[in-house]
Amino acid sequence: MSDWYYPPSRPRRVEGGIRARSKRGEIAQSWWSARFIQGLESAGVGGRLARGRSYARAGQVLDLTVDAGSAVALVQGSRSRPYKVRVGLAAFGKAQWARVEQALADNAWYAAKLLAGEMPTDIEDVFTAAGLHLFPAGVRELAMDCSCPDYEVPCKHLAATLFLLAESFDADPFAILALRGRSREELLDNLRAHRGGGAPPAADQHGPAAGALADCLDTFFLAAPLPPCPPPAATAADALLDQLPTTGLSVRGHELVELLRPAYRAMGGP
Amino acid sequence: MLAIHGLWSRGRGLLLWAEDGDRTVKSPSQAARSARPHPFAAPAQALTEIHPGKATMATVLLPSLLSAPLDSTELVRATPRPAPRRPPALLPWSVPAITVDPVELADPAPQVRYGASVTHLRELAAFAADLAARGRVLPSLVHESGAPAARWRPVVAGPDAVRLAAIVAAMPPVARAEQDGRAGTTGPDPGALVADALAVLVDAAVRDALARSTEPVDLLPRRRGRRPRQLPASELWLAALTTADGRFPVDGVLEASSLDHSDLTELADALAAWDEVGTGSVGPAQAVFRLAEVAPLDDPADPDLTRPDTVWRVEFWLRSAADPSLQVAAEQVWAAPEGVARWINRPQEVLLAELGRASVVYPDLAPALRRARPVACELDVEGAHHFLAHAAGVLDAAGFGVQLPSWWDRKRQLGLVASVRTPTEAAVTPGGMSREALADFRWSLAVGSDVLTEAEIAELVAAKAPLVRLRGQWVAVDPDRLRRGLEFLQKAPSGPTTAAEVLALAARHPDDADLPLPVTAVHADGWIGDLLSGSAERTLRPLHPPATFRATLRPYQQRGLSWLAFLSGLGLGACLADDMGLGKTVQLLALEACERDGGAAPNVAEPPNVAEPPNLAEPPTLAEPNLAGPTPPAPTLLLCPMSLVGNWQREAARFAPGLRVYAHHGPGRCHGDELREQLGETDLVVSTYATATRDVDELAGLTWHRLVLDEAQAVKNNLSSAAKAVRRLPAQHRIALTGTPVENRLAELWSVMDVLNPGILGTPETFRTRFAVPVERHRDPEAADLLRRVTRPYLLRRVKTDPTVIDDLPEKIEIRQDYRLTAEQASLYRTVVDDMMDKIEGSDGIQRRGNVLAAMAKLKQVCNHPAQLLHDRSAIGRRSGKVIRLEEILTEVLAEGDKVLCFTQFTEFGEMLMPHLSALLDTEVLFLHGGTPRSRRDEMVARFQADGGPSVFILSLKAGGTGLNLTAANHVVHLDRWWNPAVENQATDRAFRIGQRRTVQVRKFCAAGTLEERIDAMIERKKALAEMVISDGEGWLTELSTAELRDLFTLGAEAVDE
Repeated sequence: MSDWYYPPSRPRRVEGGIRARSKRGEIAQSWWSARFIQGLESAGVGGRLARGRSYARAGQVLDLTVDAGSAVALVQGSRSRPYKVRVGLAAFGKAQWARVEQALADNAWYAAKLLAGEMPTDIEDVFTAAGLHLFPAGVRELAMDCSCPDYEVPCKHLAATLFLLAESFDADPFAILALRGRSREELLDNLRAHRGGGAPPAADQHGPAAGALADCLDTFFLAAPLPPCPPPAATAADALLDQLPTTGLSVRGHELVELLRPAYRAMGGP
Repeated sequence: MLAIHGLWSRGRGLLLWAEDGDRTVKSPSQAARSARPHPFAAPAQALTEIHPGKATMATVLLPSLLSAPLDSTELVRATPRPAPRRPPALLPWSVPAITVDPVELADPAPQVRYGASVTHLRELAAFAADLAARGRVLPSLVHESGAPAARWRPVVAGPDAVRLAAIVAAMPPVARAEQDGRAGTTGPDPGALVADALAVLVDAAVRDALARSTEPVDLLPRRRGRRPRQLPASELWLAALTTADGRFPVDGVLEASSLDHSDLTELADALAAWDEVGTGSVGPAQAVFRLAEVAPLDDPADPDLTRPDTVWRVEFWLRSAADPSLQVAAEQVWAAPEGVARWINRPQEVLLAELGRASVVYPDLAPALRRARPVACELDVEGAHHFLAHAAGVLDAAGFGVQLPSWWDRKRQLGLVASVRTPTEAAVTPGGMSREALADFRWSLAVGSDVLTEAEIAELVAAKAPLVRLRGQWVAVDPDRLRRGLEFLQKAPSGPTTAAEVLALAARHPDDADLPLPVTAVHADGWIGDLLSGSAERTLRPLHPPATFRATLRPYQQRGLSWLAFLSGLGLGACLADDMGLGKTVQLLALEACERDGGAAPNVAEPPNVAEPPNLAEPPTLAEPNLAGPTPPAPTLLLCPMSLVGNWQREAARFAPGLRVYAHHGPGRCHGDELREQLGETDLVVSTYATATRDVDELAGLTWHRLVLDEAQAVKNNLSSAAKAVRRLPAQHRIALTGTPVENRLAELWSVMDVLNPGILGTPETFRTRFAVPVERHRDPEAADLLRRVTRPYLLRRVKTDPTVIDDLPEKIEIRQDYRLTAEQASLYRTVVDDMMDKIEGSDGIQRRGNVLAAMAKLKQVCNHPAQLLHDRSAIGRRSGKVIRLEEILTEVLAEGDKVLCFTQFTEFGEMLMPHLSALLDTEVLFLHGGTPRSRRDEMVARFQADGGPSVFILSLKAGGTGLNLTAANHVVHLDRWWNPAVENQATDRAFRIGQRRTVQVRKFCAAGTLEERIDAMIERKKALAEMVISDGEGWLTELSTAELRDLFTLGAEAVDE
């Protein structure tokens, strides 16, 4: 099929869509989001994956919500009405979740890692022990629907949705668990109940907001006293460079972090 | 008098604006709708005269009455505004402002007061500089008005985030008073404003540090291969990180055409990985890791070094970020989360998230989290050592709290101890000790300052664990360090050879790296030990001045004399830093008298070769160099401010008439051969810092026995020309006299000590990083302690409240306060004399009497300040020698935390001084005069008497001279003279009366060569006259003949400053 025969369909430009944060290369950064869309590359047909990726980057996906058992999105294509996209994955039942939650509550490691923004590397062990799999065996295990006329699955709209879904997992590993049927709040509440500390969470607290100027006329020219500044731990001026996530950036064949090191040493002074 | 305020204006940067206390209050315009010109804001030009900057305008919201804004707390007016009767409202005012470089914050001008907003911005700038110096910054790519730029942004985490939050909370409202476009009255959000300011300040601080680096910093590596047609954005960005403005492409270096935009996007993507690092958010709470020992040994006296079953625990705690005193153990978070939830939302989840985060930087934590309710992590001895040596630092840097056992610090590490035994049979010679004297020097291996026995060393060598229990305390033993230490000892290294070297060894910083291990202590007995411990002054045998010396030294002065002589004998520079009024001058004169009239002094020790053996039981008295030698010592060069030259001459003549004094200053001073000849018959050359700076080439070519720096604050800035000049003057010995070794910054101490003993505190840079920053900024007790230890041998400071001093003091010290007229004062003085003498000659009777009294009054006014005679409200500046000297005295008084009364006969002079002094000293100055209503007078007295109340009180002699009880003051200054001791004493007695517990120092200003001095002298000479004076005020003067009056009034040459 030649491209000149069918005029290529151009998507309508969209304001306010969800844009992928990654601008180049792979979209899924973390091992768990990569694992989730494992097999997508091989399943792609024609240029659909690449177009899906550029859809995701261009902000063609208008809305994406993750619920127990499915993620639903609206994707703006070439037609005036956005296509409805659904990615389904079987949610676990109540009894299944109870087993998983008990195991998670018995081992604080998992919750600690999840709360620190990371999917624990051995999370699948917990589900395996309960006779379950957290991750789909491949994209083929996902139920995928799109209201567009393209008969191929995944179409570019599904691909765009999957990419954005993976990216949302990067930011919040709890989202994968939510897809399987437990939202972050439910899960944390249940874990707390299993641990036995049943305190209901207090309402969100906020620090006192700075008063409007008109409310502080009495103290207008006064500064609150600053507490003395404690001595910092003695660390080398370039210590930060060794604690950074990698950028993969190199200049003239040298790694960025090493190129920056002389500057940090100079800041530290003699 | 200006009160300067600062604010951070987005896009414009640091703005300064000011209120002027001399401007009228009311705004001519009543239209309150829009911003009216601020009625008493200073014009931009007045600001640029103080701080270089670019003029602009700003609209600020201020608490106001309808007609005018209220005064800020810092503004001083000669006549205070009445308190507002109505509640103020917030109104916009437009003020002239200047945009200035933030470095101006570090350079406050003396003649103005700075508001809390400036102090706050200064704190913020210091925080930015601190972040940059610790490398808590990251490079970023931003777009500024369409062009890409490379910016260093702050990395704020952990304790820094807490600090930042505190800075935001402390921001005074006036610092965010700029009205931003809309007519709102909320003001910008403090957090956002501080974040914007911090970003700009950090970027500037990093670029500044890179520009000042000793080696130029170029981040771009050399290119391999050919230059591409299009330079990658990453190279442009990297290059722009070290330029002055961060914009790129940089013209001339990298061309604009070589920028590829998709390339730029790629760079931005890669750098996005760092977006989340250190963005300053403070969580509700922070995990704290506390290392504890679970099974302490049962019997510390019999430690089993290799005991394998000692268990260590890292306990988990949770600490509130808002209130770090709130800290709970993990057990409580699991067992009773309800209580914790009162101050932390969802405590269990917060603790878990913190532990999850910590496990990334401290992976050994992971196994401990594999349970339902983790509370601690158990470690073996290797694990504990790893935690102490490595993990603790990493966790702290990542923003977690770490609490280590108290024994874990620098003091308990393996190091070297130097032991020096003071010789029992050896000579002490000037400039040091002979080699034999230090034969008993020894290096030993030690933990902290505890010297290890052979058996203990053997045990350490045998021990395999990195943490070893020694004498009941844990010690970290690095086998490599232990080996290096033993190798060092085996080589039988030689020790220092002079006392100065022993002292230098004790002054070493642990980081100095020319020995294999840090020197943890210097053990010395005898007099070196006394010197090191700072107790030499008390243990030295007191030295007595020769019989020809005409003053009786008080016991503490005698001890000071011995101390000066002792250090002089060792060739060590000495800083005598006694409180003002304790007689530094007389101690120095006694030292000179001892040395130069030594033969007559039976108490001075024998010449060096047969000196008594110095030891503890028999403290040494030191023979002075050349005492019995064939040639008398070269003259001593004493430098002081101009105003004190006459004082030194007079005091020397009074107390040590045997000293031949030559005042070397003024246009008539000798040079060349004439000077050499003069020096041949001089013991003490008194000169000024200005003269020494001017004549440094000539003076540096001469031989000096000693260099004395009086008021050594004059060399506190090591870059000043005076400081540079005194470093070039060669002298066998140096002494600094100062009442305030540190006025503002520790760097001043460095400068003075470095002149006395070059190199003793390292380079200015190492001093800054080792002492100035840790002590001033972080109040690091360890650094402060080290600094005290290093300077102790060379610094003697007694304070008036010192019990060993206080018993020695009379209750009231009268001091004649010398000063000199400025050239302007002198010329006015002569004009007044010529003019008035003509009038007096041409008049008689009542008219003549009136003219004489008028002449007196005018001359007194000239001595006070030219502006007082001219009645022109002109600037105070540095036009009056009296005011300049007064400023110095008050600075010192305030530095000591004392309070002072200043009496003047002239209300006008008080009105001039009040705003000037409050600006200069940055403190509230009270002024009481005949027009002060009674209620206000009582209020002033009550406030002055209260603790923490104002410290400077100006009173007119008539209004304040009687009746008041002002015993909070222990200084009284008589600014001008009434020549009536009774009236003056009555005024003095405001402070010196029942209720006064301290010695009162009374200063009476008196300029040599003026009528002030001449009348003083007449009163001293003629008792009969004095009685007349008491009965008749100044009236008796009118009876003097014209010739007598001419003698009395004519200005002497000595009255004028150079």
